[in-house]
Amino acid sequence: MKLWNRHTIAGKLMRLNLQVTGTALVLAYLAFLAYDLYTLRKDMISSLATEAGIVGENCVTALVFDDQQAAEATLSALEHSPHIRWAVIERADGSVFARYTHTGQASPDLKTSLRPRQSMAYWTRGSNLLLGSRIVLQGRSLGAVYLLAETSELAHRAGQFGLLSALILVLCSIIAVVATSNFRLLVTRPLTELAGTAQVVSRERDYSIRAPLPRSRDELALLVQSFNEMLEQIQQRDHALEDSRNELEQRVRERTAELTEANKELEAFSYTVAHDLRGPLQHITNIAFMLEGGNSASLGAEAQALLGKLVEGTNGMSALIDDLLNLSRATSAPIRRTAIDLSVMAEAILDSLRADEPLRQSQLSVAMGAQAFADEGLMVVVLENLLRNAWKYTSKIEVAQIEFGYAENGEGTVYFVRDNGAGFNPRYADRLFRPFQRLHSPNEFPGTGIGLATALRIVARHGGRIWAEGRVDYGAAFYFTLPNDREA
Amino acid sequence: MLSTHSFQALRRGLRTKAAAAVCLAMAGLMALAALGQPSPADYDVKAGYLFNFGKFLRISGDAITPRRASFDICVLGHDYMGQVLDDLAANQSIDGRPVRILRVADAYAASECDIVFISPDEGDGIPLDLDAIGRADVLTVGDSPDFLKYGGMIQFVVKDNHVRFAVNLEAVNRTHLVLSSELLRVASSVTGRPPAEAQP
Repeated sequence: MKLWNRHTIAGKLMRLNLQVTGTALVLAYLAFLAYDLYTLRKDMISSLATEAGIVGENCVTALVFDDQQAAEATLSALEHSPHIRWAVIERADGSVFARYTHTGQASPDLKTSLRPRQSMAYWTRGSNLLLGSRIVLQGRSLGAVYLLAETSELAHRAGQFGLLSALILVLCSIIAVVATSNFRLLVTRPLTELAGTAQVVSRERDYSIRAPLPRSRDELALLVQSFNEMLEQIQQRDHALEDSRNELEQRVRERTAELTEANKELEAFSYTVAHDLRGPLQHITNIAFMLEGGNSASLGAEAQALLGKLVEGTNGMSALIDDLLNLSRATSAPIRRTAIDLSVMAEAILDSLRADEPLRQSQLSVAMGAQAFADEGLMVVVLENLLRNAWKYTSKIEVAQIEFGYAENGEGTVYFVRDNGAGFNPRYADRLFRPFQRLHSPNEFPGTGIGLATALRIVARHGGRIWAEGRVDYGAAFYFTLPNDREA
Repeated sequence: MLSTHSFQALRRGLRTKAAAAVCLAMAGLMALAALGQPSPADYDVKAGYLFNFGKFLRISGDAITPRRASFDICVLGHDYMGQVLDDLAANQSIDGRPVRILRVADAYAASECDIVFISPDEGDGIPLDLDAIGRADVLTVGDSPDFLKYGGMIQFVVKDNHVRFAVNLEAVNRTHLVLSSELLRVASSVTGRPPAEAQP
């Protein structure tokens, strides 16, 4: 059976055909041969018995009147039955009365004889058949006649049968081959084509291919048709899927383009606004300065207080403009990375902060050696925002503690700025980094709400991450990472 | 007590006497044969034949003779066959009739038989006997040399020391008797032709 598995269906069918016809033929041959040989032998025995009967009948008077010549004359008629090799007529007492030998045959050698009361019997002598028949006259046994016939006819018949069967077998084989090739045309070829199509479809995922429909209208045609319908459905679904995906992509592209455009416009706008506001603001500041400086004596107390508020407002606005410009720059300016020392940078910033308010009590610590590979100008903006925030939110603490440090963890160096200031509600930690979102009122702590947004953008543009931890009245800590791209 | 020597001498003497007896008997037989006289052994064979002729004999359908209850085989004249014939026929039947062996004194009695053997002792009386039997449906058998010439039907002859028989169909055809062709086949000679309607 294992061997069979390797053959095609057509091959299997042909083998099956040949096996069935071959077996049937061989069996039929054997059955017919057996039957034929059996009947032939029976016929032979019967005809031999008839001949023996005739010979016996014709020898009755010869036996009765002891006429050997007449008996031998009768026997010589057996000349016309070439298959009879010899014949013997025996008297009732068992002595030989007459004998006959076909030309070229050995002389008769009778080893067997009929038992008393036996009228007829036969024996097989090699390939020959010996038949004995009693000669009876009016109920009295006169003797017996024995005929030896050769059965080569049987072997001849078997040979002829074999030849005929072999011929039929060859014919059947040819028919089987022809029938199988017909079958191949009708069944196997559509099946092979279907299998091939299925393979191509599965390999290339091309659902536009169709299996050729066979000419016959049988189960196979139904199978092929169903297969094609299935492919059709899959193809339709595939199309729908691709269409919707393309549409989605197109929509995303459009939206992205729109957003990018809007962003650019917004940035340009804010930059322009901030930049263009500077001029007028400078005028106002200058006038306020001149008023304060030159004519302060002529002004009333109320006017002087108003002037102070004016100067304060212009300072706030100036800071806002600076922050906006920083934000804008942080967004659009190209990044030029160099090796920098954040510790030195932080120290310088803290020094300037302390110089601004020399009366404040503070404990400032900077861990030395915080190396980074980043844009120097932008990193100044980041550190300035974080340290200035810390300075600002510790303003109400008796002794401000501000720390800049760094530590190594799984994702590289994490830099941090920690303080013991006002802190914040951790629930709103993510709102800290959104522009103009503030957790404290301007009366408590003045500010533009842009600084942390700027820091976020710069760190993000460096491929890093920034986050905050803190609790109300227990200070805050800001962490950021700067992936070291020097090696990259 | 006899000595071995004397016993052998006695045996030799006996053997010599037996050989002499056999020689005498053979000489007698040869003399008989030379005279044309049938030997007693021939009569045993003839008795068998006589009995067997009945098996190949029938009477044609147009016969008016009433069918007898027994099949009678008769001997006319001196009976050479004797007890042999009686033994052969004992408890036998032919054509469904029990066989009887009769010794008849004259031809008239013989004409009531189925088969009659006319003894050679009848001599010159044989033609008269045959005339007396006439056309009666009796198979006449004899072994005298001119038996057929006198109108007999079957005559025994000795050929090469074998008993054979000759058939005179003309005589047979004068009666309603029919002899089987098989019998004629083994006859040493047949005179006359079988009638067309008598062919089996």
